[in-house]
This record gives sequence, C-alpha cells and structure tokens, in this order.
Amino acid sequence: MTERRNLYVKLACSVLATFLLSFIFSWCLHDGLSKHDAYELIDRTFKNVQDELTDCINERLVRVCMAVRETLEEGYPDDPRSLQTLANEMRVTEISIADNAGDIIRSSVADYLATDARPAFNFAEAGGEAANMMCLVDGSDTEYCQPFRNNAVNNNWRKFVGVWRHAGGFFEIGCDAKALQSLTRSTCVDLFRNWHVGGTGGIVVTTATGLVLSDYEEPNREGSQWIEPDDTFYWKRMEIETFPVYVMIPKGSAAVQRDVLVGSTAILNGAALVFVALLVGFVISAFVRQQMHAQAAKELEMAKSIQLSALPNVFPPFPDENRFDIWASMETAKEVGGDFYDFYFTSKDRVLFLIADVSGKGVPAAMFMMRAKTLITSAAHTGKPLSQAFAEANDALCEGNASNTFVTAWAGELNTKTGRVTFVNAGHNHPVLIREDGKAEFLKTRPSLALGAMAGVPYATNEIQLEPGDEIYLYTDGITEQPDANGELYGDAQLLKTISSCGRYWRKTLLDAVLADVRRHAGNVEQADDCTQLIMRYRGEPFTVTREYAPNMEGLERAATDLAAALEDVPEKLRNRLLVAADEIFANIVNYSGATHWTLSVELTRHPQGVRLVFADDGKPFDPLVRRDPDITLSAQERTVGGLGILIVKKTMSPVTYKRREGMNILTMGTDYES
Amino acid sequence: MKVEAKQEGSKLTLSVSGRIDTVTAPAFEAELKFGDATQVVLDLAEVPYMSSAGLRLLLTAHKTMLASGGELLIANVQPSVREVLDITGFSGILNLV
Repeated sequence: MTERRNLYVKLACSVLATFLLSFIFSWCLHDGLSKHDAYELIDRTFKNVQDELTDCINERLVRVCMAVRETLEEGYPDDPRSLQTLANEMRVTEISIADNAGDIIRSSVADYLATDARPAFNFAEAGGEAANMMCLVDGSDTEYCQPFRNNAVNNNWRKFVGVWRHAGGFFEIGCDAKALQSLTRSTCVDLFRNWHVGGTGGIVVTTATGLVLSDYEEPNREGSQWIEPDDTFYWKRMEIETFPVYVMIPKGSAAVQRDVLVGSTAILNGAALVFVALLVGFVISAFVRQQMHAQAAKELEMAKSIQLSALPNVFPPFPDENRFDIWASMETAKEVGGDFYDFYFTSKDRVLFLIADVSGKGVPAAMFMMRAKTLITSAAHTGKPLSQAFAEANDALCEGNASNTFVTAWAGELNTKTGRVTFVNAGHNHPVLIREDGKAEFLKTRPSLALGAMAGVPYATNEIQLEPGDEIYLYTDGITEQPDANGELYGDAQLLKTISSCGRYWRKTLLDAVLADVRRHAGNVEQADDCTQLIMRYRGEPFTVTREYAPNMEGLERAATDLAAALEDVPEKLRNRLLVAADEIFANIVNYSGATHWTLSVELTRHPQGVRLVFADDGKPFDPLVRRDPDITLSAQERTVGGLGILIVKKTMSPVTYKRREGMNILTMGTDYES
Repeated sequence: MKVEAKQEGSKLTLSVSGRIDTVTAPAFEAELKFGDATQVVLDLAEVPYMSSAGLRLLLTAHKTMLASGGELLIANVQPSVREVLDITGFSGILNLV
C-alpha cells in the first residue's frame, strides 16, 4: 500500500512539475509575443499618426502659403526686405518666388538669389526634394509640401510649402521649427484624443519644449509639461514635423491578451495533464492490481500446499491397526485458513490425535500452523504428559509472536488397552462424543487458553472413558460457522442433529454426511473457512490367538482347521472369504517360500467386529502385493491359474498389507463387519 | 470332501460336497474322472467355498472336455464360489448352469 501511495505522490509531483513548466514556457512565449505585438501596433500607429499629422500641418501651411500668394499678387513692394516683412507678418520664416524655369526670382533669403558670382537657386537643377516643387510649374499640381528637412543651400532646417503662381512659376514659404510649431500647433490640439491604441493605449503629441498638445488620456492636461512614460508602458517617441509624438500602450493592457491566452492555455494544459495523470494512474493501478492478484494467487497456492503437505492424507493411516480407527478430511476454503490435524503413536499403546485452527488466513497462518504443528508434535513425542507438551508448545509459540497469531487446538491421547482418552482443549470447539449406540453429545470441558496467546498459562488435562465402539468427532469452526444466505451460521445444534441422524455410519461416511449438510446449509454462499474434521473410533483390544505351524501340508491342514474353528461366529459369507484368502496364503508359504517356521495370528475385534489375519514366515522375501494381476479376459485355452490366488486376496480383503521385518514376511489382511 | 458320480448314458453328473482348497484339492482331482462321457455336470451345491486350487482343477477339466469334443457344465454354484469365479473371470469361461 505504501508503494502505491508513493507512486501516486510521484505521479502527482510530475504532473505538477510538467504543469509549471508548461505554464512558465507559455507565459514567456506569450509575454514575448505580447511585447512584440505591442511594438508592431505602435509602429503601425505611427504610420497613421504621421499621415494624419502631416496632412493637418500641410493643410494649414498651404493655406498660409495661399494667403502669401494672395498678398503678393495683389501687389506688394518688390524687394527682399518687404518679402521678409510679409514673412514676419505671416509668421513664416522665409518667402520665395520661382519662375517657370524653376529659378528663384525673388526671395526673402539672399542666399537663393542670383549674384554676379552665381546664378539663382534653381529647383529643377537642385534635384531631390527641391525638384519635386517643379510639379507646380508643369501644372500637374497646385500645391506641394515638403517634409521638414535640412536645406542644403544654407544648412538650415526648414519645411517648404509651395502653391502655383498665376503668372507662372510658384510661391514658396519656408518655416523653421519654431515657425512651424507656432503656425500649426493649434491644429494638433486634441487631434488624437479619440485615438486608442490597443484598448487602453493612445497617442500624445507635445510641443518641442514638451508641452502637451494632444493627450489621449487626459485632455485637460493640454499645455502642461509632458513627462515621458515609465516602464509600465510599451512606448515609442518619434518626431513628426518637429512635433514629438508618443505612442504608448500600458503593459497591463497589452498583457491582458497574454494573460487570457496563458490562463486559458494553463487551464487546458492543467485539464489535459490531470486527465493524462488519471489515465496513467488508472492504467498503473490496474496493472499493479493485476500483479497483486497474480501474487496473491501464487501465495494462496503456496499456503495451500504448505498446509496440505503437512497433513497425513492416506487413509486408513495404520492399516494393520485394529484397536482403533482414524479418519480425517479437510476441505480448504478459497483462502487458506491454517487448519490442521494430526495423529501418531506416542508409545505402543498410546495414540495421539489432534485438530487445530490458526487465527488469520493466508501464508502467515500457514507458516504459523507449520510451527505450531512441529512444536506440539516434538513436545508430545518426548513422552511428556499432554498438558506439559501444550504448555511448552505455548511458551515457544508466544516467543516472538509479534502478530499475536494464536491457534486453538484439541488433542487427545487414547490408551488402546483401557480406552481412556486424556485430552487438552486449548480454546477449541467442543468435540462430539458418539457412543456405540449412536447417541451423540458435545464433550464439554472448561477450555484452556489458545496456544500462542499468552506465555506461562497452564493447560488442564481431562479424561474420558471410551467403551469399544465409541467415537470422538473433532472439527474446526469452518463447519459450525458457515453462514447461509441470511448470515445464519450452521451451528452446534445442526451439527449434533446431522451426526445423530447418521446412526451407526462412521468414518468417511459421517464426515461426508456432515460436509454435505454444511454445503446444503450454505447454498450459494461461498465456503467461509477451512472445513476440517477428524473422527477416532475406539475398537478395544482384539482377541488374539497366535500359533506356529509346520511348513508342510500337515501344518497347513492344522492351520486351516484352527482358522475355521476361530471364525465360527463370523457371518458365513465373510468367513468363506477369509478361509479362501487364507488358503491362498497358506499355499504360497508351504509350496514356495522355503520357510522353516511360520505362524498365523487370528485377531478378532469388536465394535465393530472384524478379523485380522497375520501371516508370518521366515521364507525368502516375497511381497505378493506387487505382483501384476493376471489377465482375466483371456479365453479358456490361454488361461493359466498363476496369480489368481493373490488376485482373490486383494479383491476380497481390506486392508491387505505386506511387511518384511526381522527376516520375516508379514502379511496382514482382514475385513470389518457390522454385527 | 466327497464326490458322488451318477452316469446317465453319455451324461456324467458329479455331485461335490465340502470345501475345495489346497488341502482337499488332491482328493478332488482324483475324483475328476469322466470316462467316455460327452457331457459332464459338476454339481457344486454342497461346496461352500473354493480357492484357486479348485479353480486350477476346473480349468483343466474344462480344457479336457473341450479337447474331446464334449462339454463341462457347472451347476448350483454357491455365492462364495460364484464370487471367486467372478473375481478371476472364470464365470466367463466356464459353462455355469
């Protein structure tokens, strides 16, 4: 889980970093763009401003020039001084008159007039801007305005304006900066008041001395001293016809577009990144979940195999045993619960059988189960009393048990001679005691604490006397706590009812019957926990007669007679089976084994009744059970009688076992029957 | 064990009583003489059980009868004997009546 949280934190951080990067990048980009745009706009505006301002000035000066023409054509003293007087009157700097050839014939400026040393100034010959005035001579224009410029003749800055002359040629006035400004400043006032540049920007025109003529922002400021804009503006200054003109855009205004763009980009980027992050997160978490599923399934398999490998699963576990029977089964749930059972001899006449249930599930439960099983087994094997074995196992389990896992267990030790069962209950479900007549009841004693819960606690021993035929049924809570669709548990009462209804069935039949009833109860509800059961039946000590016989036909005949007498009370059908099977073994021993001694033990058990025949001979080692069965499908001509005897034994006897022990072949066979 | 023989023309009926096992098989084998009978009926009504020692004799007798063109019929087989015949596949070979 921590790994996953880290993953999400990393993902969120990288998303945030990407977002910031993209934000900064787009901000810088749009900031640069907006600046560029602003200056482009300013440049464009200047072109218009220049056109407009120049037009206004020209118009004004043309009118002045026309007034000069009027005055001169009405007749005005023809000398340079009077021309200068007129210029002064008209508030222009100089006045000149040119003829059709472009020669200045009269002028207030002596530099332009012819002297002995040089000819008069000729517009056509002067070239450049001056030559443009010739348009007034050829009649293609009636007026012409030059821009404010440096006059090459006397190196003075002038703006010349000409109008055509009725007598041919043209009149020209020239204005220096001061004259220009004084003549035209009134036309500039408020000229650009309604001009807006880029939303909140505008145009300011001032006089050469910096007095405001036209201010887009504060018309009332006209005439006040102009202060150049600070760096909160994108702005440019340009002199147009001597007038300083400022085109300016507040940065804030220019930035609006940038902000809108950056903002919307940021929102879109953010949304896209969040979407991508969610998608990536989803894909990763799906992948991780899948990995975890696979991992969990693997662990589950491992836990199951640990659990199952630890349990004895061959039944009957002691085929030669006729003093008791044990049968167990475990139905594992989807998730391993850590149940286990076990049984083993602690001495020749004592058998220990136990069932246990580890708290928790999965691999930890399975591992704990292994530990618990080993500890209990090793403690019990030392021959210590069960209570002490449990106490020692408990102390060992408590050591380093950080997870506080515990295990409930019920263990009993049967004395096969007396039928007494000594048992310890460490917090486990009460077993069911099934008497020989089929009556079932819970074997209730005050339970001790579960193993692994607390170190140093004592484990009380209890005893119960079994009569031949009595059974003890052990189970885990997977049986009694299996819920149905309504959440109702299977319960103790139903368990007892099912067991009681089984009558004299036992072992696997009873275990299967209980499991089937639990399943019926569960219906469609999944199995909640491991369902583990174990049943032990005490049969009592058998009545045993062992006799030795000679390894010949005489001995065989005596053995057959003795056996027939011993089996007198056995039902006929079973008795015949036993006699036939015994005859096959007799024949093998006498005819083929090369034995010098052989014995037959006849063991008769009660509750249930049964017979075990044990053949022991000192002949050559021979395990009849590994021999291959003869082919019984052949025709009469092909058939031989070899191997038929063993086939008959294997088919009619259960169990049949062979052992080679201390130089003897020991073959045990038998059968059980209900009285 | 005892065997009673009864001849009716070419039909020979042998009524066996007692178990047939390793002990009694030699005596039973000695009684299994068919002469020139073409049909032999083995009446096992009084045979409580039979081991493979008996099966061997039955198979030999069956083959002998087949070889001489006659037939061997097994009659009144008791449950325990029948079980052994079934297990060993002999009930599919012998003529049980």
